[in-house]
Amino acid sequence: MDGSDPADASDAAPSPPDVEVPDALADVVDADTGEGELERTIGLVGGLAIGIGTMIGAGIFVFPGLAAENAGPAAAVSFAIGAVVALLVALPAAELATAMPRSGGGYFFISRGLGTAPGAVVGLGLWLGLVFASAFYLVGLGSYAGQVFLEAGIALPVDPAVPLGVAFGVGLTALSLFGTENTAALQNAIVIVLLVILTLFLSYGSLDALGVFGAESVPERFFPPGGALPVLQTAALVFTSYLGFAQVATVAGDIKEPSRNLPLAMVGSVVVVGVFYVVTIFVATSAFGSARLGEFGETAMVEVAREFVGFPGALAIVIAGLLATFSSANASILSASRAVYAVSRDDLIPEAASRINLAYGTPHVALGLAGGPIVALAATGQVELLAEVASFLHLVMYGLICVALVRLRRERPDWYAPAFRCPAGVAVAGVGGVASFALIAFMQPASIGVGVAIMVAAYGWYRYYATDVELRGDF
Amino acid sequence: MPDTPADDDAQPAPDRPSVLVPLAVLEGESLPAGTPELLANARVVLLGYHVIPEQTAAEQAREQFGETAMSKLDEFAARLATAGADVETRLVFTHDRETTVDRLIYEHDCLAVLVPNSTEQVESVLVALRGTVGVGRNTRLVAGLFADAGVAVTLYHALDEGESRDDGEAFLNGVRSDLVERGVDPDRIETAVEEGGVPIDAIASRAESHDAVVMGETDPSVTTFVFGMPSEQVAERFLGPVLVVQRERPEA
Repeated sequence: MDGSDPADASDAAPSPPDVEVPDALADVVDADTGEGELERTIGLVGGLAIGIGTMIGAGIFVFPGLAAENAGPAAAVSFAIGAVVALLVALPAAELATAMPRSGGGYFFISRGLGTAPGAVVGLGLWLGLVFASAFYLVGLGSYAGQVFLEAGIALPVDPAVPLGVAFGVGLTALSLFGTENTAALQNAIVIVLLVILTLFLSYGSLDALGVFGAESVPERFFPPGGALPVLQTAALVFTSYLGFAQVATVAGDIKEPSRNLPLAMVGSVVVVGVFYVVTIFVATSAFGSARLGEFGETAMVEVAREFVGFPGALAIVIAGLLATFSSANASILSASRAVYAVSRDDLIPEAASRINLAYGTPHVALGLAGGPIVALAATGQVELLAEVASFLHLVMYGLICVALVRLRRERPDWYAPAFRCPAGVAVAGVGGVASFALIAFMQPASIGVGVAIMVAAYGWYRYYATDVELRGDF
Repeated sequence: MPDTPADDDAQPAPDRPSVLVPLAVLEGESLPAGTPELLANARVVLLGYHVIPEQTAAEQAREQFGETAMSKLDEFAARLATAGADVETRLVFTHDRETTVDRLIYEHDCLAVLVPNSTEQVESVLVALRGTVGVGRNTRLVAGLFADAGVAVTLYHALDEGESRDDGEAFLNGVRSDLVERGVDPDRIETAVEEGGVPIDAIASRAESHDAVVMGETDPSVTTFVFGMPSEQVAERFLGPVLVVQRERPEA
């Protein structure tokens, strides 16, 4: 990467014998280049927790009501479609991540595989995509925090979701600026608590829906009146629930044994959340009709739980929803700041953006560039628009990740030596790429408009600021 | 060793014990006074580390602070080397200090880790011994560091329950003869056996009349989680350098 002295790099000591298997690739990336070496501290569990923790907040705790309103019980199919598309992208992305286990994720793969211009569009798009995603999670978090007041019987004059979401946005940004506590351990614990609550709740709900505890619920018409179209539109809307696997790749530089842990964490987290989402929709739509669910809005799952197990169930889901949306919002803010760092490291934006505050050790400019717009967007309260724009920007990146894989497989540059090879790579990437772009077509025009405008602006910035930067194949 | 400055004529000393010296270089931690003298006969692994919060990519910190940290570290390494030590420097940007320290103990097969505190001189050392398990590593360290340095060594053992004073003395005499065999002047070795009490208090108060402490590491447990490692507690109260002898690490 930065003119490393080969003699210096070659004397990197061997990996500890039984702590971890030597990872040739990680050794090369981390080798001391005269400015110190890097410790990789995130293991497989940590990687899975990042992926699952980022994703599960949206799919289970925000979308079920909205999705069921649009697509009825077939919303389960929408989530399944999302899972398949995500998997088709996660596999090629995992291959690229093991070839380039560096912070920056999708942006890094595309800028190195396809060149600076697509890289700049994706890099700036990733930053804003995560900003939109975080704002969306914050509104969800605000809804659950508002639900706490409702459960406590405190009537509020206005819907508290948006003001509370904004407050949480400010709080989380401040926390990430000044907090030096060990948030990874907290994140792991939150994800484990969530999975336990959800597994209990969904097992009970599924058994009940199948008639184990009494009358089997009468299924309503599975497909909505519009047929397949609303199902696909809903798939495009809820795709925001699958953005987290790419976040694993944005911290690739910190993951131990990346050759093994990156693919497992990326693919594993998609599979886990996909199963949870599909079961959640099944349980939710068997408890209420789709129209009722839609009326409940973002906190529909609270009513579902109340229907099954009364107040304790509702309380458990409120707590789970708070934890889940909180961890999603937090993870996305941090990822957005990493994305800013990645583009700034490559001189696509001024270097000042990645400066670290020595007192706190945090990248305060990058965090500000993430937190500021997030708070502003959360204030709009446009849940569906925020979600779709986030999905749009991510889907563009996913499509280009697939293109990058196909191109790298064709050209086989010397530096491209992935430790994990996606089975049937070119075919998977081809289908994944087409599916990613196709899903965009089913979004609302407003979302597509905002997304395109952001991409055009990103390209304009590249033409103005960074035409002399060459990133293809640059390590 | 590749990174060893100024040891052209140092004999290849196979018995030099390797000691890890971790320093938080960017937080202003520097090599405490007396450390070069204490470790003059050691193979020092000088670890400069910087703990970064999880919000920050390790690469990002390295890019910004790597050079500064490295130049400080080189300065400390030169001081250690001038005093006679073989020095190898490592600079690590990490999210977790323990992971890094543990990895380097493995990689360099370190006999001990120094809790860096300053001392004016190195004339007498308190060696706190718990039992026969792994005691050979203590004697290797003590003999390797202090045999030729004319340092007075006090072997100390607090009696366990059911252990008689004779048992304790026999144990320390065994250690003493091992040290003599390894070249420590018998006149400079004292032994002290004490009835059990709180070992940390006993070690810390005895340490006051010495310049440095050598003690073993303790297995992590609930107690160590709540109160911290005994070696850290001793170091906090004693305020002088503490060499924490590491357990034998299992081979791969």
